[in-house]
Amino acid sequence: MSKYLDLTIPEIHELYVKKELTPSILLEEVFERIKARKSLNCLITCCQEEALERARELEKEEVGGLLWGIPILIKDNIVTKGIRTTCASKMLENFIPIYDAFVVEKIKKAGMILVGKTNMDEFAMGSTSETSYFGPPKNPWNEAYITGGSSGGNASAIAARIVPLSIGSDTGGSIRQPASYTGIVGMKPTYGRVSRYGLIAFASSLDQIGPMTRTVYENALLLNAIAGKDQNDLTSSSKEVEDYTALIGKDVRDLKIGIPSYLVSDVVSKEVSEVFNHVVNLLKKNGNTVELVDISYLKHAVSLYQIIAMGEASSNLARFDGVRYGYRTENPETIDALYEKTRSEGFGEEVKSRIMVGSSLLSGKNAKLYYDKALSIRDDMRESFLASFQKYDLLIAPTTTTPAYQLGEVMKDPLKTFMDDILVIPANMAGLPAMNLPAGFNQNHLPIGMQIIGAPFGEAKMYQLASFLEKELNLDLEGGRK
Amino acid sequence: MTKYEATIGIEVHVEVKTKSKIFSSSENGYGKDANSSCTVVDLGYPGTLPTLNEEVILQGIRAVHLTHCTLTRKMHFDRKNYFYPDNPKNYQITQNRTPIGQNGYLEIETSEGPKKIEILEMHLEEDTCKSSHKGRVSLLDFNRAGVPLIEIVSKPCMHTKEEAMLYLEKLKETFFYGNISDCKMEEGSMRCDVNVSIAPKESKTLGVKCEIKNIGSIRNVGIAIEKEIARQEEVLEQGQVLKEQTRRFDDQLNDTVLMRVKETGNDYRYFPEPDIPFVFLEEEQIQEALATLPMMPDERRILYQKKGMSKLHIEKILANRSLSDYLNTFLDTNINFVTAANLLLGDISSYLNKNFKKLEQTKLTREKFIDLLQKLEEGALSNKNVKEILEDVLEKEISIPEIMKEKKIQNITDVSFVEEIIQKVLDENTQSVLDYKEGKDRALKYLMGQVMKETKGAVNPKIANEKLVEYLQKR
Amino acid sequence: MKKLSVEEVKHVAHLARIQVSDEEIESYRTRLGALYEMVDGIHEIEGYSEEMMITPVEEVCSLRKDEVGAMLDGASVLSNAPKTNGKFIEVPVVINE
Repeated sequence: MSKYLDLTIPEIHELYVKKELTPSILLEEVFERIKARKSLNCLITCCQEEALERARELEKEEVGGLLWGIPILIKDNIVTKGIRTTCASKMLENFIPIYDAFVVEKIKKAGMILVGKTNMDEFAMGSTSETSYFGPPKNPWNEAYITGGSSGGNASAIAARIVPLSIGSDTGGSIRQPASYTGIVGMKPTYGRVSRYGLIAFASSLDQIGPMTRTVYENALLLNAIAGKDQNDLTSSSKEVEDYTALIGKDVRDLKIGIPSYLVSDVVSKEVSEVFNHVVNLLKKNGNTVELVDISYLKHAVSLYQIIAMGEASSNLARFDGVRYGYRTENPETIDALYEKTRSEGFGEEVKSRIMVGSSLLSGKNAKLYYDKALSIRDDMRESFLASFQKYDLLIAPTTTTPAYQLGEVMKDPLKTFMDDILVIPANMAGLPAMNLPAGFNQNHLPIGMQIIGAPFGEAKMYQLASFLEKELNLDLEGGRK
Repeated sequence: MTKYEATIGIEVHVEVKTKSKIFSSSENGYGKDANSSCTVVDLGYPGTLPTLNEEVILQGIRAVHLTHCTLTRKMHFDRKNYFYPDNPKNYQITQNRTPIGQNGYLEIETSEGPKKIEILEMHLEEDTCKSSHKGRVSLLDFNRAGVPLIEIVSKPCMHTKEEAMLYLEKLKETFFYGNISDCKMEEGSMRCDVNVSIAPKESKTLGVKCEIKNIGSIRNVGIAIEKEIARQEEVLEQGQVLKEQTRRFDDQLNDTVLMRVKETGNDYRYFPEPDIPFVFLEEEQIQEALATLPMMPDERRILYQKKGMSKLHIEKILANRSLSDYLNTFLDTNINFVTAANLLLGDISSYLNKNFKKLEQTKLTREKFIDLLQKLEEGALSNKNVKEILEDVLEKEISIPEIMKEKKIQNITDVSFVEEIIQKVLDENTQSVLDYKEGKDRALKYLMGQVMKETKGAVNPKIANEKLVEYLQKR
Repeated sequence: MKKLSVEEVKHVAHLARIQVSDEEIESYRTRLGALYEMVDGIHEIEGYSEEMMITPVEEVCSLRKDEVGAMLDGASVLSNAPKTNGKFIEVPVVINE
């Protein structure tokens, strides 16, 4: 069996240019791997026919840019015209979108080939991907373990090297946390850097689409392809898109790096701390300054996040009512029966619970007591972060408090996962770019990641540091590839 | 009257005139095929996001200006959450905390003098889709979903149905003349909900309010208020307690009927719409919006009054905006507006009505109209002549003199011709000439009548009168 | 441990249009209570500025030119609707409102 899929994207591209490889042949390998790793349950929908058709179309054209002919997976909360998009929910089990998300249009234009839609937590609500209506995806490093979530299917597929590229979404760590658990690179760009048009909203002011890939360079390449202003998303930025690969490989020296002190407090486990401290020492050794920095309100970040995320979610998910699309209960007698039965049958427990909480938090006087207050403090939190970037080029922190844990463990204590997200949530609250980079392993050879947090639109600099560490750490990340 | 005083507040929704909808680029039209004017955004499809139509903002700025409201320079939108089949996302994007305008007024002319009706606030929002009921099911048409609306909320500061109706007339006229809305109540582009409460006259607190929804005409607003005041008085007189409730006006019954009694306050869970960043209104944008505002009715009233038009004519002209707009194109000329208004409201209007035409569809050029008025003034044309030639004036592309020639209308301002007639009349009425000489005023009137008769009324009375006196004195 | 009242849970369930059984009401009383216990921590925060962050975007809202764009054809409008009737989407009758 050939192993074209183990080549880097520039290597694949070179073979395409030299006509030594075609997209169809590469796809064959992708489908072999999907079949071989079926137990990972990383895909909800595999669009083999459409992908092969697209490959044949591409083969009639000239070879395009670096991403031309590269297979890609997309999280199943991003709409794809004509291809089922479920949000891992019974509510949308048979939903066929009639338009493409902005990022889907972008990847098509760049010549990438959509291979499938990835498994996830239902409506992206969860941190383990176990709330999926289609069952949880598995961690390729050890299938008894969770992938993390909500972009668990992406993490699983990339770690298993099924495809080189994937697109996920991150509302409160949903790209970075699973990336950390599976040893891959995941970037949540600055809020507004990538259009949300076509991303089925969980919490509108926190959601952001981003790349999840094998390497830092390939991550930057994919961000290049999907970033930019979209007329259909008022929150997408008109700031010019730079080449995010531009600083990759550049030496890292004399950087001023901050560590938000609350993010390395005793919430972090010993095994994660050890890996993180190793990185800190490495940075110092190479002539960079690394210091602790205080960011306001981090202690309350999880509470504030819950209020905003669930409040927005309760409103965003109101549209799933059995009227215009999606699941509808059988023979409702009245309009309220249509709503109530459709929603209690179509949504899973976690989703219902969050909608209930969000509705309660916005109800009557609560809106002012909780929601308004959270928005005000959120503004101060962002200000505090921005102030830190006056002094520091970048911030770093661990991504997760522990490595991945076993499937089923979290269901025992739902509030535990909320607290686990303490390290990833602040970037969403402040709208900052943040990425996960594999940083090491624990004793059981499960991956441990670290976060790099940048100033708004500072992605290029983050990739610079990430690529430096990637090279210095030189980890063997092929453990998920069996 | 009674010992109670009524208090009335009105909420008006007007559909804003734009090409496209407020949050999507689908057409803002009326009377289209069901579900033919919508996009995924209007249907509230998963993943869709709103965009914001610039023209709606400009229209909002105009509306704020015309109602003397304070403009909110930094504003955002809010979500109003409630489940209803006509509400595609089950939340409506509206403005709750930062309405585009606040604290304005419209001045009305009541039988007791002018009164300012205060406006609490006005805000921008999206319309719902249209549902029609058919037996046990309701059918949804999303064409209207996302049509831009301005909601204008008055303070509860009106006390009679007269005030309420005059306020609505004024609001309608203002928005119609401002090109903000068609304000067609019969097509639903203007809708009003009226809040009525009554309390003993000396009372300092307001009574229990009752909301009457969706009344189809201003006339019916008057009826609804009248009936509602009577109903509330009856309840109180019987020693019963009024309950807060929502009623609607029933056209057939010509009365209000109960829809529902309010149990608890609505829980709309308002919160700022995170999909739309803050909107900042810049001075330049405000000026741009106001620059295109046409002359408003109150200014026209003053102007027409100065031009000598009667109050009745002024109101009649204003009631027909195309006539008023036409008349205004002659503001730079020195035509006689009284004559012009007479002509427009009289012969021209009846011709247009009879032939289902609009003024713009005729061949009445600016030059022709000025010429027509001048000839009427000079007496070259009589009112009667105008009636004869009007069809040609409006339908043919030829000048007034050419039409007169064709119709063989004599030039009766020709002094020698008038003199000829006068000689003839004086010769035939020697007794009257003598009477005149003896100072009998009646004689002059009689002779003038004879002149008119000879010319079939086509002679300029001013010239004829002058010449008649002149010739009488010669005799 | 904090618990919401049955009425509060029922009110919220109605707002959210989610049908809840008596058992579910009990479990929501505890779950919502626990969540409130956690988020109530924010009440200790004082001295924050009132300015609200409605979105992390700092740019001014861009406005769309008032032009009519492409619209859906009738079949697309109805394509995902669970119940249609002619050119319309059908729901159980909405009475008297």
